[in-house]
Amino acid sequence: MISVVVQRPLARALVMSAYVLGVEWARALVMRAPGAMFPALILGGAALVLAGAGWQPKRLGIGRDRLLLRILGGLALGVVLLLPAAVRPGSAPLLPFGLAVAAIAISIGEEIAFRGALYAALEDVGGAPVAIIGSTVLWTAAHALSHPPAFLGAVFAAGLVLALWRWACRDLVGPVVGHVLADLAL
Amino acid sequence: MRLALLAAAALAYVLAAWAVAPGFYDGFGPPAPYNFTCPPPQAGANTKPTSGHATIKVINGISDAASAYDDDGQIVIGFLPGAFDVTGKTSVSVDVVPLDTCPKPPAIAFVTNVYHVTADAPLLKSVTVTMRYSNLEPDPSDVYLASDPNGTWKSLGRSSQAQPFTVNTSTTSLGYFAAGYPSASPPPNTVTVGGGQTLPIVVAVLIVAVVLAGLPLAVVRRRRSASSEADADDEA
Repeated sequence: MISVVVQRPLARALVMSAYVLGVEWARALVMRAPGAMFPALILGGAALVLAGAGWQPKRLGIGRDRLLLRILGGLALGVVLLLPAAVRPGSAPLLPFGLAVAAIAISIGEEIAFRGALYAALEDVGGAPVAIIGSTVLWTAAHALSHPPAFLGAVFAAGLVLALWRWACRDLVGPVVGHVLADLAL
Repeated sequence: MRLALLAAAALAYVLAAWAVAPGFYDGFGPPAPYNFTCPPPQAGANTKPTSGHATIKVINGISDAASAYDDDGQIVIGFLPGAFDVTGKTSVSVDVVPLDTCPKPPAIAFVTNVYHVTADAPLLKSVTVTMRYSNLEPDPSDVYLASDPNGTWKSLGRSSQAQPFTVNTSTTSLGYFAAGYPSASPPPNTVTVGGGQTLPIVVAVLIVAVVLAGLPLAVVRRRRSASSEADADDEA
């Protein structure tokens, strides 16, 4: 069974998708319980990071070459993600301090899971188009329980920007930096 | 080609995020939009809050366990069995009505609407009050109660455990309810990590950093590219 999953790209992508969606939906449901928000975010982030286990860092888009450029790209992605809230006067909410740590954990976990492992698994199935569209659709579906429907368009578009960066620059550091910045600010 | 696709996606994102305030959200996603009586400017499109009604049965001379709430689910009052004095009654009627004005009592800043909760029987036991608040407002420290919205408001405190963006407490009287915090102190349990008024500054600093650091990097890459082309020409 395990060898089938490891050797067949489609089976691997399906198992990866089910795992990542399961973690995200479970996290969203557990967070509704009183007092469970912080542990759910931390444990959810850790479980998502596990999705990257077994992959070469290069396949996930992680590397130290062009590091300055990658970080700079992440800052630029952060600007894009925060721009609508920054331009709209006074619209940014106040983030409870304790949630800042959890925000960092969940953003790193989501990037490693969606634009890292899931992207790589889907790329093995059908190349870049399947990886970009597939990881973005699954990212949007993963947020269906935690976000009101009105927000899912913005979630999809954000996922598309991050996945296109992953494809265009073969880089995950930028999306991680941009995602962490956006989550810390909102 | 790649950069053009990326730029188009970024533009699509900005348009999509502009349609929903405040835009991109993740991890601890936003609750359903709050329906304000007096919406703050950043709320965008707003629907007026609704009222609610509950009829609580009297079974064997005791009022049944029940909840009364508005149709938006922005306030929920929970009643235990026997919560009411039901002498001579077969049911108890409870009404939840949002006040159509927004009182601003001295020294208190409300972050929710004011709801008037009434029952046609006196209370015998304490009831739980759960109020939802907007993610666009600071975390409230207390639920407040008043018998007259223009009179004195009394703090009922809040319990430490609540679902995200909700505040709980208990009370032995009904009346006008709202959640808020003492306006003389800063909003409790919150810091502006990047939001609030500093967000435009954070974004501006990021833009400057990207431009200032990006220009030298672009120059270095161009020089490297030019020198490697020259080396290739020399070798040829």
